[in-house]
Amino acid sequence: MLSLENQFEENVLTTKVDWLINWARLSSIWPMTFGLACCAIEMMAVGAAHHDIDRFGAGAFRASPRQADLMIVAGTVNFKMAERVKKLYDQMPSPKYVIAMGACATGGGPYYKYGYTVVKGVDRVIPVDVYIAGCPPRPEALLEGLMKLQEKIRNSSVIRKPARLA
Amino acid sequence: MDFQGIFDRLTAIRAPGLVRADEPRKADPKDKKDKGRAGDPFVLVEPQQLADFVRACRDDDRLHFELLVDVTATDPSKDSADLWINVQLLSLKFRHRLAIKALLPKSAAALPTLVPVYRASQWHERECAEMFGITFVGHPDPRNILLPDDWLGHPLRKDYEFPKEYHGISCE
Repeated sequence: MLSLENQFEENVLTTKVDWLINWARLSSIWPMTFGLACCAIEMMAVGAAHHDIDRFGAGAFRASPRQADLMIVAGTVNFKMAERVKKLYDQMPSPKYVIAMGACATGGGPYYKYGYTVVKGVDRVIPVDVYIAGCPPRPEALLEGLMKLQEKIRNSSVIRKPARLA
Repeated sequence: MDFQGIFDRLTAIRAPGLVRADEPRKADPKDKKDKGRAGDPFVLVEPQQLADFVRACRDDDRLHFELLVDVTATDPSKDSADLWINVQLLSLKFRHRLAIKALLPKSAAALPTLVPVYRASQWHERECAEMFGITFVGHPDPRNILLPDDWLGHPLRKDYEFPKEYHGISCE
């Protein structure tokens, strides 16, 4: 290493692999184009110019689960839809993340008691990374949720921890 | 035409299955148990002749109900022996409406379909069928419209019991 010092001047910077990969991942979380109910309207507002989710690198809504990193479950999930949601989640390539947006996706919301067709939380079908409260949440809340997700990715590691000895 | 005019016309043309008119009224101040009746006036019809009745409403020159607005049902209470079938008709030509109600016994919840008269009633009837367990005899496509095909029970019946799980997803 010593012999390389000052050889490249400011054209090279050194970093950790973890940092680099996490930075790349969290700066381009591409969500899937996918909305289930009124929360989706707020999600569209987040995608539009005023709130502009593209500032966080998450503005490229992909029309296919195979190109998406993030599933924003924006709305009421009913049983008929839950199987489709699961199928779409399974089609996404890893690493994949899920945001449960709003009261319905988090825990059934106003349909908790009498909604006979409503799944009481999308986490009964797919694993959820970030829950956002609200009915529907403000666009700022979704951005906050996205930043929480970025924080989560920033603290993750791509290096597999050595298996513990039994 | 107002409701009375429509009812008189229905009586004059001997519309099949017509039972009586039911109009809202105020409560009798002397009788404390009498609460009166709110809502719109409607005509009560025999459910088995409902299709013939709406056909007469559609084809009569003075009534001319060319538009079916709604077909729905009501389960008034757990103890009630009857379901209500509610039909709304509208005449665009004369700008009058008619509410029709038929009492259908829960024990034999079947009646002839309205589809030969109004094709618009297909989806309404499919929804009624899955939500209330009513059979519309002669319906051309009697599948579920909103619920999954393997759904058990009829959710808008007052005695409906909520499912415990569906395809492995807990409903508790």
